[in-house]
Amino acid sequence: MIEHGPLLERLLAGEFVCAVSDDHAFRRLQDEDTREQIDTYLRPLNRRLATNAEGSVYFLAWRQLNDEARDQLSRQLGEVLHSLMPMLEWLQLMQEALGHDALVAPGDVLKPAELSARCEDNQSLREQLERLAGDSFFGSQSDQLDAQMKQVFKRLREHGYVLQPHADRQVYLVTGKVDYLVDLVRLIRDEENLPIEDEMPQAQENLL
Amino acid sequence: MSSRMPSTEARPAEDHADHQLEGRLASTGVERLALLGKHAEALMQGYSRDEVPLANLSERALNKLLAARIVWRPDEQGGVKLAPRVRELIAEMLADETRRQVNADVGETLELLRSLVQSYREAQSQGEYWRQEQQLLRLRQALDDLNGRFADAIDSLWQRLNSDFGFVSRLNDKIRENDRAQKQIVRLLDGLQLIDFDELIELVGSDGGLRKLLISQLQRQVSQHYTSLREVQSRLTELMARFRQQQSRSRLVSGMAAFLREHPNFVPGNYARRSEVPDLVNQATALNAAASPALDHQSDTRVITELLHELPRPQQPSRDATSAGPAAVETTGLVAARQQALKDDVERFYLAVIDQSAEAGISALDYLHQSDMTWGEEIWLFQVIAEYQSLPRSEQAAFRLQQSESRASQFNDLRLIHDVTLRLARSA
Repeated sequence: MIEHGPLLERLLAGEFVCAVSDDHAFRRLQDEDTREQIDTYLRPLNRRLATNAEGSVYFLAWRQLNDEARDQLSRQLGEVLHSLMPMLEWLQLMQEALGHDALVAPGDVLKPAELSARCEDNQSLREQLERLAGDSFFGSQSDQLDAQMKQVFKRLREHGYVLQPHADRQVYLVTGKVDYLVDLVRLIRDEENLPIEDEMPQAQENLL
Repeated sequence: MSSRMPSTEARPAEDHADHQLEGRLASTGVERLALLGKHAEALMQGYSRDEVPLANLSERALNKLLAARIVWRPDEQGGVKLAPRVRELIAEMLADETRRQVNADVGETLELLRSLVQSYREAQSQGEYWRQEQQLLRLRQALDDLNGRFADAIDSLWQRLNSDFGFVSRLNDKIRENDRAQKQIVRLLDGLQLIDFDELIELVGSDGGLRKLLISQLQRQVSQHYTSLREVQSRLTELMARFRQQQSRSRLVSGMAAFLREHPNFVPGNYARRSEVPDLVNQATALNAAASPALDHQSDTRVITELLHELPRPQQPSRDATSAGPAAVETTGLVAARQQALKDDVERFYLAVIDQSAEAGISALDYLHQSDMTWGEEIWLFQVIAEYQSLPRSEQAAFRLQQSESRASQFNDLRLIHDVTLRLARSA
């Protein structure tokens, strides 16, 4: 168990462990025996190892859901929902600014300076950034584009959506927590029966 | 062939004619291949555009290109275009995946192989060694072509796969290209299926050379292509699933964002209160694995003592923080308002100094006494000095603050400030 010490500490601290944030630990977590060992260890702490649908991130869940745990989960859910819209807007902004037609994915490299430059040249991106940076989740007070972008990335790092490999360099890596967010969106869509399609309609595809 | 079945004595003459034909073909081929290099620029323009530009081509050069079937003219009025085979050749040379074509037509090659084998065996039975050699050469070439065609197609498929279909940028295009590549594989596999080794075994009979060429060698190659194609196929399917997943994620996020924009007051249910809490929502609170130095293990004591010695000494004795605490806490409401009023009054004093610009300056206490302000002298002086010190350096230079001060007593060098006089710096 001793070799899992640092990993356990990270998990207990509420971190999401993915292939980007800790490749070594992530590979170990893919082994069923290791997962069982960790689960046994976590039992007295009323916690267990959990993962998302595609198994790309690991985090800790409550083993037994008592009232206290439910209260905490309700509060946490509220916070996540509060951040949902600004996070979705951020995902869309990144997609547009990078000129991709797919969302940013774990392992993608993001450079705020480059992104700022692209927003500067494009009024619509500029406005999108302004809107989301000013949201209380990102909480930028500045009207400077660079400062807004910086604040947005600071908050994303605090929430574990990106990580900064070198403290003195403004280069970020997208983590697996983005997958978790997308899965959560899918969960809300399914639970609430929201009229949101994610598959390309077959008929339309045939036309292409 | 059978119509000009040669008699034994006519054979040398015919061999000679065949040699001559071969020679003519070679010289014309060299001449025409050279045309490709000579007009490379115009041809490349024809490759990337719709038509071959004729501006720099003479009538003679154009006719040569037409005769060599390097270019062709679809109709009399229209422009000159690159021949399809030349376009294919260039695409192949450049590994240009946007234009590279996969030729899966095996049926015709098999037809050719059959007739070559038959004519080879005829030549053999009649002892025409030169013709026999020629047929064997063409047979080898036909097989090499077939093999090369599959190798090229597989190479092209891998290139596309490894670049994630990088030659198109939009996800929809990638999905379509992937789909097209998968259909090509199906055609290629269908083509391989046409090769019937039982038929070939019968065709070659007991000829060892043919058997080696058409059975063992071809069989090895076919099975290699088969494996490669299956591998590419499964990788393409995987990649397609990834493309579709990316597309679905992107659509999901933009759909949800649009929905939330339309329904700003939308609140989903509280999944944490359900009897079955979805796994995704169940995220335990952070737990800090804290630890403190403990001395109950004899062996640890030495380590901790060493650590203690290694700690840097504090530079200054720490102050008792509690004594300074309350002042900051009480800076609320009324107190803050009084402070602001004092600050405003001091600012008015500074403005008065600027307005009067008296050479001697204005004494702060005189100003206080002349006005109807009720501030204590000490607090007033304190704020006037504080205001001066808090000015930006550039503005500070515009004023001179003179303190009238004295020693506290003969034996105490403490300076007591009785009054300050403020004047503008430029009048000095």
